[in-house]
Amino acid sequence: MKLIKILLTISLLSLMSSFAHADFEAEEKFVSSFADNAINILGSDTLSNADRSSQFTDLVMRSIDINLISKFVLSKFWKAASDEQKTEYLEAFKEYFIASYASKLDQYSGEKVVVISSEASKKYVIVKSHIVRDGTDTLKIELDWRLLNRDGETKIIDLNIEGISLIIAQREEFQSFLNNHDNDLDALIDKLKSINTKN
Amino acid sequence: MKSKLVLLFVLLSLSISGCASITKDEVLAENIATQKVSDPLEPFNRMVFSFNNVFDKYALRPVAILYRGVLPEFARNRITYALNNLSMPITTINNILQFEFGKAGISTARFVINSTIGILGFFDPAAYFGLEASSEDFGQTLAVWGIPKGPYLVLPLLGPSSPRDFTGLLSTSLLDPTYQIGNTANRELFRYYKMGTSTVNFRSENIELFDDLQNNSVDYYAAVRSFYNQSRNSQVSDNLEVSPSVNQDNLFNDFEEFDLDDTYIGPDISIDYPE
Repeated sequence: MKLIKILLTISLLSLMSSFAHADFEAEEKFVSSFADNAINILGSDTLSNADRSSQFTDLVMRSIDINLISKFVLSKFWKAASDEQKTEYLEAFKEYFIASYASKLDQYSGEKVVVISSEASKKYVIVKSHIVRDGTDTLKIELDWRLLNRDGETKIIDLNIEGISLIIAQREEFQSFLNNHDNDLDALIDKLKSINTKN
Repeated sequence: MKSKLVLLFVLLSLSISGCASITKDEVLAENIATQKVSDPLEPFNRMVFSFNNVFDKYALRPVAILYRGVLPEFARNRITYALNNLSMPITTINNILQFEFGKAGISTARFVINSTIGILGFFDPAAYFGLEASSEDFGQTLAVWGIPKGPYLVLPLLGPSSPRDFTGLLSTSLLDPTYQIGNTANRELFRYYKMGTSTVNFRSENIELFDDLQNNSVDYYAAVRSFYNQSRNSQVSDNLEVSPSVNQDNLFNDFEEFDLDDTYIGPDISIDYPE
């Protein structure tokens, strides 16, 4: 009797965990297909530079909620900005952001992002994954993807590399820059533009 | 030797008093609170940071590039494993000081297995037995005890730190069992080799990352500060068995607010292709 109870509990538990897993299956697939595509495009030898950059831009625009990210990283300065500044900033930031993601993901070209698990975290879904370092099987780099579902569409809003959230780092960086430049948003926009032309 | 005993005693008594007065939740709350950047020494820190960058540009980075160019990937991976293995004895001590006795057993077993079967730690057979552990330092132990991190601090040559992490670093250099082998001269030599190798090895693994940060940051200093603070906070979250991503949830609280009470959303971002 006791044995049956235990077996029942175990099977129930495993059933529950498989259901819990199935909840975010779509999100997990979304992340692994984004990561595969990104690494393939960036590491491709057959694409011209222009094609590579246009395909990567296309992919990022489809998968990442850049409107929300642009505003979030600017925090309180977004609300104080004039309409003109907002237009200019959004355009400069988009180019800056895509280039910065490209160079961060480019380091992993030729490697495979393996999705491990996913969990709900407040209104977000966190998909956990890792990259196994070349030539080893136990040295791993952990990547967590933060996803948000809005209006029926799932988009990436953050990439966390080994505990470091890129969006939070970006926000702190912009805050710090503005604090050191009399809170002048135009100075930040100029800086972004000058980095963009360099790239 | 006597000074080490005194230090160990101080650490132990701190641990006992720390545990008596502070709960896990309080430590966590403190940890989240300190994710707000505290940098009252910013002007001084920026000066030291610039100095460190010059050192990096002309000494450390070139050496790291040479190291990566000369040593094949296989050898570099072996060195990473060996350094990892050498950090296990001090990790065991920290596991105990954090009252994580199960983890202390795992890191001890890892050290024994990898130092022998794993040929001086160059390989990681322990991982195949399911024995996996991350290195723990005194900075993390102090955090688990509820000692506040204090302001951000950039140290000459050593780089980003905090009073808590610097204290941890000093304690480690005094108490690390791998620094107690052999006579005094050998010990010193070993210490310099180990520190040098781990610095160059770490730098060689992050050449592209730092290049990218340096070239593409609007404020390189702030980017490194954020990376350091976040990385340390997430290690401490791990100690407290909280997923770092979950720990960051509160920082994302006002994320959607930008859409809710903002009438101007800006132009729809159209995709245009750079050349």
